[in-house]
Amino acid sequence: MPPSDLRQMAVVTRYELLKYLRGKRLLIIIVLVAVIGVLNLVVPPTIGSGYDPDPTTFTSGMLNEVGILVVLCATFFGADAIVSEFEQKTGLLLFPNAVNRHVLVLGKFIASAIVSVGAVALYYAITAVAAVVIDGSLAANTSLSFLYCLAYLFGILAITYFFSAIFRSSVYSIVLTFFTFFLILPIIDRVGSSIAHFKPWFSITFASGIVLDIFQQPYPLDMVRTVERTFRNTTRTLTVAQYHPSVAQGLAVIFVYFIIGLILSLVITKRREM
Amino acid sequence: MTDAIVTENLRKQFGQFEALKDLNLAIEPGVCVGYLGPNGAGKTTTIKILTSLLRPTGGKAFLNGIDVVHNPKEALASVGAVVETPQLYPQLTPMEILAYFGQLRGLDSNVIRERSVEVLEEVKMSDSANKRTGEFSTGMKQRVAIAQALLHDPSILILDEPTVGLDPRGMIEVRELIKQLKERDFTIFMSSHLLNEVQEVCDKVAIVDKGALLVYDTVANLSTVSESRVSLTAVEPITAEQCSSVQALPNVRSVKRVATSELLITIEGGLREQSDLLDQVKSTGLRVAFYTPAGSAIEDIYLRLVPEEEY
Repeated sequence: MPPSDLRQMAVVTRYELLKYLRGKRLLIIIVLVAVIGVLNLVVPPTIGSGYDPDPTTFTSGMLNEVGILVVLCATFFGADAIVSEFEQKTGLLLFPNAVNRHVLVLGKFIASAIVSVGAVALYYAITAVAAVVIDGSLAANTSLSFLYCLAYLFGILAITYFFSAIFRSSVYSIVLTFFTFFLILPIIDRVGSSIAHFKPWFSITFASGIVLDIFQQPYPLDMVRTVERTFRNTTRTLTVAQYHPSVAQGLAVIFVYFIIGLILSLVITKRREM
Repeated sequence: MTDAIVTENLRKQFGQFEALKDLNLAIEPGVCVGYLGPNGAGKTTTIKILTSLLRPTGGKAFLNGIDVVHNPKEALASVGAVVETPQLYPQLTPMEILAYFGQLRGLDSNVIRERSVEVLEEVKMSDSANKRTGEFSTGMKQRVAIAQALLHDPSILILDEPTVGLDPRGMIEVRELIKQLKERDFTIFMSSHLLNEVQEVCDKVAIVDKGALLVYDTVANLSTVSESRVSLTAVEPITAEQCSSVQALPNVRSVKRVATSELLITIEGGLREQSDLLDQVKSTGLRVAFYTPAGSAIEDIYLRLVPEEEY
């Protein structure tokens, strides 16, 4: 008899990790982490501005790009995780085994999550060490920010798996992942906040604001105010809005994306034909 | 005893196209069945449903009595399959791929190691056992795919065109391998386009066309009921009168002139009728230079059952 689902899941995860270790993507992500870190550490003194003496400001500045890293990890390790089995025809070998499809999806997801968490953790580690070396102490809430970032990573990864489950080509899945999280949702966030003046609480990229907002003391609140601006003798009243997700709201939205993305990817992959 | 493979009113629809129409098949354990049919007949669709790659529109499919649609994990536990020409994970070596699937099937690590060496030897891939598969040819990939299908010593082996992509030597080796497996009581369900291959290797033949089963019987039974064809080459050119004389002989269904001194004769019956015909042809005064069977019994039955426009 075949082993339990849990044991099979562990086997799938182990071999997915082996494939990542043997492939180039993990290496590329590590290089990217190093490049982002080095740029953040080298550019300020090079242009003469120096480092921020406050560890909190320094750390949140370093972590400005962590959202990009999260999306890159999801794109590299999740966008073609499922579709490639169909597209590359490796599924013809894998699926006729005595293993349920949901086990394969979850095993792959765990492997994707492990390497992505590794990459994000490496960047946080670089940031933390830099903060201690440069400013003498670690910023408060760095660990909370890391945890929120991991939550965001899982949410993004789940949606990426959903894209990977629905498309026939990994190119579509990769492009959609990239555009959704780098363009579409950020545009909605920006237009919502600054032009339409509504709080885009439903957007996972907006929700990811908790990763950096947690460094601010006190935690930032929504702010909507009107200002009068005079231009060529005409005075106009403008509304300026700054929205921030509360921690609870941000985590809840990320959790919903995670659950929906993962469930959809499981259901679609189970029903998908080859 | 439970049949090894059973399909009950199996149906599969792709949009408007009906790939399988109430396919009913029951394959007893320990036989090697050749699954034949023209392109689009439903062979691969059947195999993909049996291996949980496709979901049927209707009907049921069982492997060792277990419903493969509702319980694929248990149903596929004792099945080894090679469907189409699968690709391998380029980052892994054949040994690692076998270890991966062996662990998924719950084999002990020592057993996996021993069996991997054995099956790679069987498919003549021992030399490449520890090389990454990224640069492997189609034939090498096919051999590794066959090796993984054999790894857990399954009771049922499902092979979809197992010699596709192999060079002539590889085709012969795979055929020999299947013959060896037959002796080890495997139930083998093998689709193929190569009729001679099926006749050489299989005990029984199932012919499917337009999604429906046309015939399922032993090769021996099919050979006896079949009409057969012989090619006759005369020493001199064959006249129209001689052609008519041959046509008029007993058991002769049709005579087709394929060259000035060569006839293709279709007769009702098998070897005995072919022998009788030769004597009768000689008695007409026709000097026969060559008299050879044209095609195998399976070919004859296939050509009779599957209309010409389909292949």
